[in-house]
Amino acid sequence: MKTTVRSTALLAGLLCATALPAYETGGPAYTKRVETNLLAEPKPLAGAVGKLGYGRKVKIAEVRGSWLRISEGAVSGWVFAGNLSASAPDESKGLDGLPVAASETTATAAARPLTPAAADYAVRRNLTGAREDLDWLLTECQAITPEDVEAYLQENKKGEFQ
Amino acid sequence: MTPRFLLLLAAVLSATLAAQAQFDFGKLSKAIDKAKEVKDAAKDASKVAKGAAGIGIEEEKVIGDSVAVEVIGLYGGLVRDEAIMRRVNLVGRALARYSDRPALEWRFGVLDSDQVNAFSAPAGYVFITRALYELAPTDDLLAGILAHEIGHITGKHALNIIRRDELFSGGGSLLGKYSGDFREAKSKASSLDAQLQQFDIGVGKITKTLLESGFDAPTEYKADQTGRDLAKLTGYAPGGLRAVLAQLQKNAAKPKSVFSTHPPLTERLKRLPNDPAPVAVEPAAPAAEADNKPAGENK
Repeated sequence: MKTTVRSTALLAGLLCATALPAYETGGPAYTKRVETNLLAEPKPLAGAVGKLGYGRKVKIAEVRGSWLRISEGAVSGWVFAGNLSASAPDESKGLDGLPVAASETTATAAARPLTPAAADYAVRRNLTGAREDLDWLLTECQAITPEDVEAYLQENKKGEFQ
Repeated sequence: MTPRFLLLLAAVLSATLAAQAQFDFGKLSKAIDKAKEVKDAAKDASKVAKGAAGIGIEEEKVIGDSVAVEVIGLYGGLVRDEAIMRRVNLVGRALARYSDRPALEWRFGVLDSDQVNAFSAPAGYVFITRALYELAPTDDLLAGILAHEIGHITGKHALNIIRRDELFSGGGSLLGKYSGDFREAKSKASSLDAQLQQFDIGVGKITKTLLESGFDAPTEYKADQTGRDLAKLTGYAPGGLRAVLAQLQKNAAKPKSVFSTHPPLTERLKRLPNDPAPVAVEPAAPAAEADNKPAGENK
């Protein structure tokens, strides 16, 4: 019996350890979106009580399943763990002098065609057929909106909708 | 002198200098235009040439687009089936949303190939072959495969190839101003050509690593672990990738055509947590019925 209890405890410990290995109460986490909403409750449709910008270091006040209650100064609220990062943003700078990580926030500012340099590359490499395929992919991907992805998550109970 | 007069004088001087400059450099315009053509084509490539000092998102897009074109060309083109494309992209973007690079423009495609493999390219491109897609009839299995590739992109593993090999070191900026005499303009155009050549070599190097030699084993194990954690966090069964690998190990009649660019399946399985295989629920649209299209020329 003693062995069984010990085994059960070990198993439970292992399960907890593999659920969210990087986050623990009192530890840090970092925002990774341009804007991260802090919610009143650990539920995806709960009301927002605050918001934080990109790359902010926050303190984890509580862990409840895949949800974290975090705080930064006077701001406090719940965030789905997938909306945070366990590691700090890359502070290294490109030759333009700007932090490399900060440029990440502008990656999806607008849907874009193939970059001109890559289009020229395709011509130089005689890859016009492949380029047509890639153009098709870019067009198809553009047709799938963030709202479509959100609906998929809700319907399939993924992400914060689990 | 009044300020008004000074302003007038400055305007006259500027206009005179501009006219003078136009006259002086008029003969050189043809050469400079030619140089500018090359310069424009190389505008983004020049950023790549910055090398290890830091590759920003714009540079990564140029590299990613170019590598993606190569991968599609060398691997039989894309399966042009909207249902398959939509499924792969919904699962992929659901995962990517919770990755460490959620703002990337993530694109997921299926390569029209009988080989079992998957690839990623910088800037958010993930490709799996048709043969591998057919082995993932449920979203849990598909998520396991895609999350591994997402792990390569968030870890910037392909970009690290450039840093290590220093193919772009000493590139300098290609966007220097085109001024001076004809010889200088010509010399700069020649330098731009050299930079383009260097860029092509760099893209070729990344493509070769992705398609032939693959990443080193520790990098693959890291992507396995990162992918497994991402799938679990997103709500997919954590054993998705493991189940696909186990299935491949069981069926591998032609081991060389199965994940040939990855470490041995036994080693990968040994390192992954012993998660149970996901329960099969939904069948995927058969890729064989897709309205396929011939690939790029470089088969």
